[in-house]
Amino acid sequence: MASAKATRSGEARPRTAAPVVRVESLGKRYVTDGPPALCDVTFDVHEGEFVGVVGPSGSGKTTLLRVLSGLIRPSEGSVLLDGRLVLGPPADVALVFQDYNRSLFPWLTVIRNVMFPLRRTRVSRGARVAQAEAVLHDLGLRGVARKYPWQLSGGMAQRVAIARALVSQPRLLLLDEPFASVDALTREELQDVVLRVHGSLGERRMTVVHVTHDIDEAVYLGDRVLILSSAPGRVLGSIEVDVARPREQTASRSSARFLAVRNEIHEIIRRPQ
Amino acid sequence: MTVRLVDRVGRPLLGCVVFAAAVGIWEAVARSEGSFLLPTASAVAERAWHVWPTPEFLSNVEASLRRLAAGYAIGAWIGVAVGVAMGSSRWMRQALEPLVELLRATPAIALVPALIVILGAGDRMRITVIAFGVVFPVLVNSMDGVRAISPELHETASLLRMGRAERILRIDLPAALPSIFAGLRIAVSIGLVMVVISELVGGGDGLGHYLLVEQSEYDIPEMYAGILFLGLLGLALNGVFVLVERRALSWHRGTTGHGER
Repeated sequence: MASAKATRSGEARPRTAAPVVRVESLGKRYVTDGPPALCDVTFDVHEGEFVGVVGPSGSGKTTLLRVLSGLIRPSEGSVLLDGRLVLGPPADVALVFQDYNRSLFPWLTVIRNVMFPLRRTRVSRGARVAQAEAVLHDLGLRGVARKYPWQLSGGMAQRVAIARALVSQPRLLLLDEPFASVDALTREELQDVVLRVHGSLGERRMTVVHVTHDIDEAVYLGDRVLILSSAPGRVLGSIEVDVARPREQTASRSSARFLAVRNEIHEIIRRPQ
Repeated sequence: MTVRLVDRVGRPLLGCVVFAAAVGIWEAVARSEGSFLLPTASAVAERAWHVWPTPEFLSNVEASLRRLAAGYAIGAWIGVAVGVAMGSSRWMRQALEPLVELLRATPAIALVPALIVILGAGDRMRITVIAFGVVFPVLVNSMDGVRAISPELHETASLLRMGRAERILRIDLPAALPSIFAGLRIAVSIGLVMVVISELVGGGDGLGHYLLVEQSEYDIPEMYAGILFLGLLGLALNGVFVLVERRALSWHRGTTGHGER
């Protein structure tokens, strides 16, 4: 990632107190006068922060992500990205879907899939190929550039989807259950890939919002975990994850802090509302 | 090993045996009947060998192929354009569906008398009938192909800030291509049917006309030679299509033999 990152180092933003994402009393009803999917959701995400969002199914986690990405409009309240109101998909937001089979372009090779978001940038084709190759390399994808998505295993395909999201160096990365479609071992691998990519950017760490139904996963990856209630989704709590970084699957997950945080989250979810 | 050998050699061999048996039965029946109305397979083959290379026969082939190409091109373009439009816009679908359903249910052959009145019995009528037969399988397959695109793919397009035109060109068309190709291939054989039918009326030239003339002049082996040629032509056109499809859709797992989606 470092090599690709350098091309934009000139516009690095100073670290400020202003949040990257500000969600204000957000509500969403899919049908007017229908049941709300989200209700009065308010939170901030700061620069470089990795925020997990957990909650029971039907708590509107995916709805929240779709509103953050500008794919759907909120019914009440607002989403601000760097202080600007989000009215449609912003240029510097990327989203990784749960199902790589449905979101990758099957008619394009891996390298062309990853290059696709760069199609409007004013750099030469060679530079775009190099940028895509750098991201593939960062995600541990070697020798697959000319393959088609269906020729890859699930874990590899999801890495390609993540690479496509990262290639344009988004300000905000949204992850929607990104590891739910792969087996347990691959899931751990992918978690570590995401941790490495997020951690390797130093001061200019990417801001990430990560939706998952797996509380342990949210704690393992995140700086903070936002807990949503069952429908309609409200914010039940926001727990700082003070588990030391860099994190490691066995050591971090068995640390006392990890267990304390995950138990606290479990308690908040189980508490009668 | 033996099973594989049986599979690789045995199955094509079985097909050849059945084919040879069918020709053999034809030959035997025709010989025992001894009627000039039912020529033997060997007599038809012999006539075909002599008739096919004649300039007269080849000019009929050329006339038919010209009409097929024109009608197919028109029908396929309209089919893809309208089908993709209907697939990607609910508004278009609601507006056009009743009309398309009615026209699609109407046998193209039934239009021939009406088209003769409107366009005369010439090539304009023929090309229209062929295009009419071609357009609907292409249209319906294109529409279904676009409608089957996953919402995630369209959301990805939105996130990449594609406009409608770019989305149709860069997402909808390639994603629907396997389905569009399936429609185009069905349309080739329907087009060939329409060529022959349209040439059975109004005189002139073409393979359909040739069949009619040979039949009315009781040149029965020549007539069968013409029918045989049409069969082989259909086979060849389909073969060409499979080749094109295999190249154009090499990314599609269904065409590369790694199991259907």
